[in-house]
Amino acid sequence: MAILFAVFSGFVLALASPWLTQYTGRATGWVYGLLPAAITGTLATLVGEVAAGETLRVSYAWVPGLNVNLSFYVDGLSLFFALLITGIGTLIYVYAGGYLKGHHHLGRFFSYLSMFMAAMVGLVLADNLITFYVFFELTSFASFVLIGFNHDEAPSRRAAWQALLVTKAGGLALLVGFILMQQATGTFQISAILESGDLIRQHSFYLPIVLLVLAGAFTKSAQFPFYFWLPNAMEAPTPVSAYLHSATMVKAGIYVMARFHPVLSGTDLWMWVVGGIGALTMLLSAWLALQYTDMKAILAYTTIMALGLLTMLLGLGTEVAVEACMVFILVHAFYKAALFMVAGAIDHEVHVRDITKLGGLWTRMPVTGAAAALAALSMAGIPPFFGFVGKELIYEAATHFDPATVAVTVVSVLANVALVASAGLLVVRPFFGELNDVTKHAHRPDAGLWFGPVVLAVFSVGLGLAPGLLDAAFLGPSAGTVLGASIAPHLALWHGFTLELGLSAVTVAAGVGTYLAWTALRTNTAFQQLERWLGTGLDHGYDNVVDGLLGVGRWQTSVLQSGVLRRYLSTVLGTTIVLVGAAFYHYGFFGGPISVADVRPHEWVLAILSVVGAFGTLFFRSRIGLITSLGVSGFGIALLFLAFGAPDLAKTQFLIETLTVILVVLILTTVSSVEGTLTASQKATNGAVAVGMGVVVSGLILAVLKLPFENPMGDYYAQNTYVEGEGHNIVNTILVDFRALDTLGEITVLLVAGFGIYALLRTGTAPDPNAEHEPPPEDASAPIEQAEQTQQVP
Amino acid sequence: MDLSTAFPTLVTDLPAAFSMSVVGLVGLAMIVLDAFRNDHPAIPWLGVAALGVSAAWEATHLGAPQSTVFFETLRTGGFVAFINLIILLTGLATILLSVPYLNQLRYDYGEVYALIMFSTVGMIMLGSANNMVSIFLGLETMSVCLYVLTGFIREDEGAVESALKYFLLGAFSTGFFLYGIALMYGATGTMALPAMAAAELGTLSTRLLFWGGFALFLVGFFFKVSAAPFHMWTPDVYQGAPTPLTGYMSTATKAAAFAALILVLVHAVPGGEWQLSVAAVAVLTMVIGNVMALAQTNVKRLLAYSSIAHAGYVLVGLSAGTSAGYAGALFYLLVYAVMNIGAFGVMSMLEWDGKEGREQTLSSLAGIANDRPVLGSTMGIFMLSLIGFPPLGGFAGKYFVFAPAVDAGLTWLVVIGVLMSALSAYYYLRVVYVFWMQSADDVEATDPVRAAAFPRATVAATGTLVVCAVALVVLGVFFGGVLETTLGFFESTAMATAP
Repeated sequence: MAILFAVFSGFVLALASPWLTQYTGRATGWVYGLLPAAITGTLATLVGEVAAGETLRVSYAWVPGLNVNLSFYVDGLSLFFALLITGIGTLIYVYAGGYLKGHHHLGRFFSYLSMFMAAMVGLVLADNLITFYVFFELTSFASFVLIGFNHDEAPSRRAAWQALLVTKAGGLALLVGFILMQQATGTFQISAILESGDLIRQHSFYLPIVLLVLAGAFTKSAQFPFYFWLPNAMEAPTPVSAYLHSATMVKAGIYVMARFHPVLSGTDLWMWVVGGIGALTMLLSAWLALQYTDMKAILAYTTIMALGLLTMLLGLGTEVAVEACMVFILVHAFYKAALFMVAGAIDHEVHVRDITKLGGLWTRMPVTGAAAALAALSMAGIPPFFGFVGKELIYEAATHFDPATVAVTVVSVLANVALVASAGLLVVRPFFGELNDVTKHAHRPDAGLWFGPVVLAVFSVGLGLAPGLLDAAFLGPSAGTVLGASIAPHLALWHGFTLELGLSAVTVAAGVGTYLAWTALRTNTAFQQLERWLGTGLDHGYDNVVDGLLGVGRWQTSVLQSGVLRRYLSTVLGTTIVLVGAAFYHYGFFGGPISVADVRPHEWVLAILSVVGAFGTLFFRSRIGLITSLGVSGFGIALLFLAFGAPDLAKTQFLIETLTVILVVLILTTVSSVEGTLTASQKATNGAVAVGMGVVVSGLILAVLKLPFENPMGDYYAQNTYVEGEGHNIVNTILVDFRALDTLGEITVLLVAGFGIYALLRTGTAPDPNAEHEPPPEDASAPIEQAEQTQQVP
Repeated sequence: MDLSTAFPTLVTDLPAAFSMSVVGLVGLAMIVLDAFRNDHPAIPWLGVAALGVSAAWEATHLGAPQSTVFFETLRTGGFVAFINLIILLTGLATILLSVPYLNQLRYDYGEVYALIMFSTVGMIMLGSANNMVSIFLGLETMSVCLYVLTGFIREDEGAVESALKYFLLGAFSTGFFLYGIALMYGATGTMALPAMAAAELGTLSTRLLFWGGFALFLVGFFFKVSAAPFHMWTPDVYQGAPTPLTGYMSTATKAAAFAALILVLVHAVPGGEWQLSVAAVAVLTMVIGNVMALAQTNVKRLLAYSSIAHAGYVLVGLSAGTSAGYAGALFYLLVYAVMNIGAFGVMSMLEWDGKEGREQTLSSLAGIANDRPVLGSTMGIFMLSLIGFPPLGGFAGKYFVFAPAVDAGLTWLVVIGVLMSALSAYYYLRVVYVFWMQSADDVEATDPVRAAAFPRATVAATGTLVVCAVALVVLGVFFGGVLETTLGFFESTAMATAP
């Protein structure tokens, strides 16, 4: 029950909030915040059981025939993420209420936000690959509408679209990976798959599974080279950025990697791809952050840095690394959400986010400033903050990682140096120094705007002082699930004078140095060039890919959809030749030798006459020649029928041919010229298609001739006409006896046609209400001519 | 053959043709009424009533055992009832959506609705065929009506041109189709589908004849379901035809033709030798449909390419050649019908006479969702479902045609399908994006949206769209029952060929 409430209550609020918001007024954020708070409380009651090593499952049959179930699963990892999502969510709801106060689409906003939260909770609790994927895509869609919430601004729309296309493409890769995973293990149930690690690792699908799942995770969690969408997504309203990029959306990719860590990790492939891409992303983005002056841009790049770090730690995969990963997820969520909310509060009160233009806000917004300072100290990893505990663990993981100790350690320290500098930029620049023209009119923010940062700052301090609180309740179960083993971690603020402490000291010192040299660094041309390649450069790469695809689409359209009927027919005929030709190829051409010995002389004459007539239609320029050769061909065939003793067939053919010739004469009189405008190559193509079709059809006819001829129907009528129908004329008995119902049908058709003609005549005589809309009388042949000319532009 | 039992058999079998008779007879009645009271406003409602009654009848027969009637020319039972239900409900929605559209164009002729009814009769016959002759009859009844429906807006050159193209290419494909049937008959000596499978193909030349004929037969069918490379008529025709009827063409026609194809594949050529050809056509269809849709600016053309792409997805399910694949394809046809009739329905409400004919470009609709939120929301759901976004019906549908193909060892085919779905997100989302996020100011050089010139949104038409959207959500979440039903049609005992 608790699980269902956690997953589905958000969707209920999403449906209700557009309507409900008119009653909640100014308190909307606080009222709606009760829901995530309630979910958090409900889930918190499960902590004891899960910490004791139990897992809870709820399952409903969805498609029993195919073993697809709607099932949810609570273990250490999923509970850890779910609590983070709803806990931070509570603060974001309150904050959003303050930030968007009076916005005329507030109800819509909370609808999107609730849908997003519910989808995230569903994602982490899902116990079925398909359910997992469904929620994964729902988060993509919800983030699309959230990022594009300010849809009257073009950059917002572009960012929303870009985020969706990138994560959606990754999501589909993930789906293929999941399908392969099901093929390998025979089940969609995640908890069952987690127990078949060896099976998957030794399966021939292992490589594609890892690459596809990672494609999904890397796009969602903004890893190199896909991270370009995340800075653009800063166009979203700040509450959205604070939520999506601290605790939720981008952590979904981390969750994917952590969830399937037990079955996919443990190979060199995993270690080098995940660890390598993570380290690269971390290092690049940490330093790219220093290129920007917009607070949200700096926050965006430090978020990518954090995601790279988490990815790297999952790639390392040692016990310490995974513990460090879980702790840092928490550390990052606390400080990043707080700093985003602070940036939003400054934006809300001053309408400027450029740190070079801000200053002295400490006097105007002291509570916000204090919360920001505490969060930044945690971010910089200063003791006794929670960030320090995290950083110590990261350094421990790096220095104890076997194959590449030095490289991992150096990369981690370098990235953290930049992080310290960014922390300084985000707090010292806006809050300290003198008030200036921009900042002196700042208002004191509402309680809603500082409530969240303060709560998070308190957590950052409290957990720093007493990190041991997390050991048994969260860290043990979550890291244990990722490792697939039972562990008993022990977090502490103080470990004595260790190598890690030394590295921390170096990091902080170097970070302060970098902060002081920031202006010089930012204007350094080599550094700016780096940004042009890896920041905006990747973004342009995305544009080029999209444009390229559109180009291919246009090119293909112009080739295949020319609008010219002749080309359509050639394509259809060409494909037919291939398909039927394949049957020939497979079964042999005629099914045996063909003899022409018993063909009589006059049959030769008639056949050649038909062929010559057919060729004549191709080469005659004059109209009379055209019509004559068409007639020769047709009448030649009719005479052939006669020669083979089928007078009725021949009679029909004569009538049809006569009619055809008359119609063609009628049409040709209205066509100005019969001169073709085809080029030589077009003629060659047409000729090839015609010859191919001729060969295929002739082959089929020759194959028919090889079959024994039977005529059961003719024999039946001949025998039964007198016996059953009591008549001597076979045709008469067929019409009125054997097929009497058909005849009845034909009479009915005639009757209906009569009604139709009556209706037409009536329309002609009675005044027609639509008469004024009738088209002017046109030349009857116009549409035929225009078929090739007035084609809609494809 | 003992003719003495012929008449009693026909009489006992009549209930099996209930829908066909009701729809056909009411169609005739509509023509008669139209002859006496020109364009009587009750005509469409007569059609709605007939289609509704027939749909209710079919719904009660979903669980019926499968057998054959009328001397094994037609089938009855759950499969047939399911397909008929799709066809009848699509027809119903089409009529409801056509009324305001045709009123607006002042082309609300009575015979339009009668033609829809006759076309529906053809489709029903196609979907319940057990004999090549029934297939041909159904196909032609359906097609001839559609040729006329495509071009009945005679003022519109585009419409007339597309009708002519449709007719010429359609007649061509019918030729192939007939030739194919004739050869298959020649090889097996029978027109009945199950008997074809049972026939001995002894000599080399009989086998050649049968498979050559089957290839021609497939060409004819691929044309009707607009599979590549026989799809070229589709964009031109879909663009030119009156919009609600385009929706009808793209959904009911496809459902009926695919149903007949499934019947042929299951009963007449159950061996699966065709698997690779069908898979190849599926790849071509998905790639061509999706890539070409990227470049479209006209929404109807875009939807035309999208419908080509979706035919490809159905073919993926068919290539699997397993019960699950056929069941998935049937389910997909249902979902596809709902979302596409909805998408074309929305477009029919958003057309007006611009400078260059009926205005259908995407950019002319920038920000329209803010003025018409119901149309905007339903269109959003249709587009997301067409992408295959969970938890909408489109996702479930796509999943249940792709999964059987993976099981049948066609993983490469599914990977292409999924990649193409990723591509499709681009153009479907562009519609959502333009509808909701842009505003008329963002678009240069188009007429401002002239809301007054839109067809009047009647309660029935808007209701139809809302019902379609809700149905997609329901199908996306509670697809279990429907899918189990379709799976049941293909279980070995249920698909027994003898009555």
